[in-house]
Amino acid sequence: MENIPQTEAAPSTLPAERLAYSIQEAAEMLGVNYFSVYRLIQRGKLKPCRALRGKLLVPRTELLKLLATE
Amino acid sequence: MSNQFEHRRPTELEDKAHAEAVRHFAEHLKQFPVSREAVERLERDVAKVTLAANMAAARPTPHQNVIQADDGAQWHKGVDLMENIHLCHRPITGGAEYAVVEHFPARGTYEIWNRGWNAVEVLKGFTQEQRQALQVWTEDMNAQVQEFLAEKFPGQDLSRVADAFIHKCTTQSVSQKQSHDHSHEQKHSRGVRI
Repeated sequence: MENIPQTEAAPSTLPAERLAYSIQEAAEMLGVNYFSVYRLIQRGKLKPCRALRGKLLVPRTELLKLLATE
Repeated sequence: MSNQFEHRRPTELEDKAHAEAVRHFAEHLKQFPVSREAVERLERDVAKVTLAANMAAARPTPHQNVIQADDGAQWHKGVDLMENIHLCHRPITGGAEYAVVEHFPARGTYEIWNRGWNAVEVLKGFTQEQRQALQVWTEDMNAQVQEFLAEKFPGQDLSRVADAFIHKCTTQSVSQKQSHDHSHEQKHSRGVRI
């Protein structure tokens, strides 16, 4: 897991091209609850990175990969 | 992690920081106990759920409960385990195969978690993974709370607050949370300052 700079914003004001999102934001974007996002991480379906203090962030590319239709 | 406030009373600053953390992470406090109790219920009810799955596999499945999973095969929903997660089965030569399948509404797909001929083993494997996911959640919540406190109260040692918060979140039951919310509302409705 790589360390990347962290940016925070309220979900309603998300810039379109953020590099990474918090777990809460990822859950909102995917339309699932928090546990589902942590399950996806535990299962390796979403590869998070860590901000300072170890907080998990989900890269935008990972969300797009997950949502891509196969 | 024990409740650090049991050993020494919190200072005024710690009280304030704890209240702010509880307010800021209200959604975690609401969702974590629900998820933890769902996992505990599954762990407790493995035999009961397995029996229900076996019985479901032995009778015809209604058309609307037949799904196509990401392996391309058709599966029959047997038992609902959690929201959007089902213990499914499909007939195979000499018996049935079982799988835990999760529905992703955003993708419109059904994805298999784990599968096997033994429903007990399939279910146990699933619950173990849920435990690990709860651990990932706990560690992340700890990091989030520490970050929040460091930003809100720079230069203060509020490690006891972070520990107490995580303890509250990981041990509080859904009924305790509901009863606390209820009493909180009652106090407010009576105009009592908390």
